[in-house]
Amino acid sequence: MNGVGALRVIVGAELRAMRNRLLKGNRTRLVALVIVLLLAIPFLGGGTFTVGATAGHFLPFSVDPLLSAAFTGLSLLMLLIGFPTVIASLFVGRDLLQLVVAPVRTRDIFVARLVTAMSANILISGVLLAAVLGLGAGAGAPLIYFPVALLLIAVQVLVVTSLQAILMTVIVRWVPARLARDVAAAVAGLTGAALYLTWNLSLRQTFRRTARPDVSGLTSLVQRIDWLPTTWPGHALTAIASGSVAVALVWVLATVLLAAILVAMAELLYERTLLVGLGVFGDAPAIWRRRSTPRPSPQPSPQPSPLRGEGNPYFAIARKDWLGFRRDVRRLTRLLPALLLPVGYAAALSQPARSLSGFWSNAALITFLSMFMASALSLPSIPSERRGFQLLRMAPLSMWLLLRAKVFIAFPVVVATMLVFSVAVAVISKSGVAQLVELVVLGLWLAAGFVSISVSGGAIDPRFDATDDRRSVGLVGSLAAIGGSLGFAVLSLGALALFVFGGQAASGAGNLGPIPSTPAVGFAMIFGGVVVLAFCASLVGALLWIANSRLRSFEASIAST
Amino acid sequence: MSPSPSTTAAAVEARQLVKRYGALAAVDGVSFQAMRGEVFGFLGANGAGKTTTLRMLCGLLRPTSGTALIDGIDIQAQPLAAKARLGYLDEEPFVHPHLTGREFLDFVADLYRMPRGAQREERMSRLLNLFDLAKKDGDLIGSYSHGMRQKIGLASLLIREPSVLLLDEPTNGLDPRSARLVKDLLEELAARGTTVLLSTHILEVAQALCRRVAIIDRGRIVAIGSMDELRVQAGSEGANLEDLFLKLTAGPESREMIERLLDAGS
Repeated sequence: MNGVGALRVIVGAELRAMRNRLLKGNRTRLVALVIVLLLAIPFLGGGTFTVGATAGHFLPFSVDPLLSAAFTGLSLLMLLIGFPTVIASLFVGRDLLQLVVAPVRTRDIFVARLVTAMSANILISGVLLAAVLGLGAGAGAPLIYFPVALLLIAVQVLVVTSLQAILMTVIVRWVPARLARDVAAAVAGLTGAALYLTWNLSLRQTFRRTARPDVSGLTSLVQRIDWLPTTWPGHALTAIASGSVAVALVWVLATVLLAAILVAMAELLYERTLLVGLGVFGDAPAIWRRRSTPRPSPQPSPQPSPLRGEGNPYFAIARKDWLGFRRDVRRLTRLLPALLLPVGYAAALSQPARSLSGFWSNAALITFLSMFMASALSLPSIPSERRGFQLLRMAPLSMWLLLRAKVFIAFPVVVATMLVFSVAVAVISKSGVAQLVELVVLGLWLAAGFVSISVSGGAIDPRFDATDDRRSVGLVGSLAAIGGSLGFAVLSLGALALFVFGGQAASGAGNLGPIPSTPAVGFAMIFGGVVVLAFCASLVGALLWIANSRLRSFEASIAST
Repeated sequence: MSPSPSTTAAAVEARQLVKRYGALAAVDGVSFQAMRGEVFGFLGANGAGKTTTLRMLCGLLRPTSGTALIDGIDIQAQPLAAKARLGYLDEEPFVHPHLTGREFLDFVADLYRMPRGAQREERMSRLLNLFDLAKKDGDLIGSYSHGMRQKIGLASLLIREPSVLLLDEPTNGLDPRSARLVKDLLEELAARGTTVLLSTHILEVAQALCRRVAIIDRGRIVAIGSMDELRVQAGSEGANLEDLFLKLTAGPESREMIERLLDAGS
C-alpha cells in the first residue's frame, strides 16, 4: 500500500469509527452532546472573544505580552491535559498491533495516528483561538492577522503534540505505556482541578471593589520567558497587528521551522520505538504490580487466620474495593482531584486576604466539597465492579447489601476529609465551638446523603463495559445523581437555616425581619426543619430503592473488559 | 457413556425456558433435567443458546417464560437459597484483576459466608496447589494468563463445595495437563454427588465425561439422552458424538461450503 493510500485507509477507518460511536450509540447522549455544544460555542467562544477584544482595545501596548502569555499558557495546558490522548492514540491500543503487522510504513501509521492524537489539543486550542481573534479585532489588526492566527494556532498544536510524542518515546523505555497514560490522566485531572480552584479564587478577588486590571505582572513574566519558542507565534501576530511584515515573516517562519523539526524528530523516534516493540507490546495492565510473596515450599502450611466466625460479604466487598483503590492507578487518579479541592481551598482561605467571613459561606463550601468528593468517589463505585458484578449477582446476597457496602467504603473517606476541612475553616474564620459543632453535624449529614445518592446514581444506569470509570455511568444515572445531590444540598441547607433561625427566634434573640421572634414561630421553624430533613431522607431512600430495583433486574451482558 | 438414571431426583431442571430479545428468541422452550451426581453435557454451535440457557439457570438472566430449578428451588422465586447451592463458571471467568489469587478466594468465601479460620485457609492452599497456582497466589489476577484465570475461577467454585456446578467451557484455554486435571476432578465430584452441567465445544470431553447430553440448535433442544439414545434419535448406529452432533445440527453442509470456497479461490 502506498503512503497516501494507507493514510487514507487508516484515517478513514478512524472517522467511520467516530461516526458510528456518535450515530449508532445512545441517541439521548448524542442529543445532550449537541445541546452542550450549541450552548458552549456561543457562550464560551463568544465570552472569550469579548474578553480578548476588550483587552485588545483598552490595552493596545500590552498586545505582545498578552499574546505571548496566551500561546505559552495554551502550550502548557495542552502539554498537561492533552497528554493522555496523545499516549492513547500513538502508544496504547490493540488496534496499533494490527497496523504494525500490516504492510504499512511506520511513517504512515505515525501521521495517521497524529491526526487523532491532536484531537484533545485542538479542542483546548479552540479557547485560545477565540481569545486571539478577539484580541486582533479589539486592537484593530489588519485582515491578514486572522488567517495567520488560525495557522499559527494549528502549528502550535502540531508542535506540542510532536513534543508529547517525543517525550513519550523516551518515557516508554522505562514505563509501560498504559501506566504512563494513567499517570498523565492523573496529572491532567489535577491540572483541571487546580485551574478551577485558581479561577474560583481569582473570581472572588475580581469582584472586590478595589480590583483594577493590572498587566504589569504579566509583562514582567513574559519578559522572563521571552526566549521560549511558545512566545514566537505571539510575536508574529503582534508584528502583523503593528504592520511590521518583515518581522512577522521571520517569526512565522521560525515557528513553522520548529514545528517541522519536531514532527520529523517525533516520527523518527516513534519509528524506532515501534521497531523495538515498545508502546505496542510493552503495555501492562493499569495496576500496580505486586511482588510475589516468596514461598519456601510449593505446599505452604496454611496461615492461621486472624479473623474468626462466618465470612461477611459486606466487609469483603469493602475490603476488595479498598485494595482496588490502592492498586488501580486509574481509580487512584479519580480520587486525587477530589482531594486537591478541599486541601487547596483550605490553604487558599488560610490567607487573610482570601478568608471567608460568616458561617453560611463555610456551610456552602462544605456542601459543595462534600458533594464533589462523594460524586468522585461513589458515582462509579458500582459500575467499576465491571464483570465482577456478575460474581456478586450469583452470590447469595441481596443487591441492597451491595449498595450498603458501597456506601460504607466511601462514607468514612468523605466524612474524614470534611471533618478536617470543617475544623480548618472554623479555626481560620474564628468561628465558635457551637458553629464548629453545627458544621461537623452538617458535614456528617451531607456526607451520608451525597454518598448514598451518588452510589444510587451509578447503580441506576451502570455501564459495566466501560474501561474508564469516568464513562461508567450513563446519562440517566448522572442526571439522577446530580439532580438528587443538588436537591439534597438545597433542602439540607434550608433545614439548617430553619434550625438556626428557629432556635434564635425561640429564644427571642432572632432578627428575622418582618417575622416575629417568638417561641411559637421558633418552634414552628424547627418543626419545618424536621419536615424538610424527613423529605431529604425520603429522597435518598427513594433513590436507593430505585437503584436496588435496577440492580436486581440488571440483565445486559457484560463484555470482557 | 453410561445409561440414563431413571429414578434419581433432578438437581437442575429447565422447564420450557424461553428468552426473547425483541423478535429474536435466543432460547425457545428448552426443557431438560440433570440428575444428582450426574455430569450432563450441553452442546451446541456458536450462538445456539447454550450460554443464555446457563445464565438463566444460574439467575443472571430472567427468563421471558419458563422456570429454572436448582435442587428443586425456583431461582427466580428464591434466588438466595438457590444461589447458595450453585456454582457457575463463565467461559470468561468473573474475576477481580486487582486482587491476588488468594485474596480472590478469600473474597468469594466471604461472599458465601464460609466460616473463617484454619480450615478455610487450608482448603484455599490445597486448591491453589491443585491448580498449580500456589507459586502465583501473591500475584494480582490482572497479571494471570487466560488459563490461570480459568483455574482460579474453578478454584473459587470449589472453595465452597456447591452441590450444583454450571460450567461454560471450563477447559477453554487450559493446557493439556490442566484440562486433564479438570476432567478427572469433575468425574470425582460427580462420584461424590455433585451435579455438573457442562457446556462445551470439545465433543471428546463431553463423550468421555457426560452420562447424558442435550444438543441445542437455534434456541431449541434437538436431541437429548445418552449416546445410545442419541444414535437412535439420529438414526445413525455406531456414530460417534461428533457425527451425531453434526447430523443433528445440520453440520455436514459446511464441508460443501469449504469445497466451494476453495474451488472459487483456485
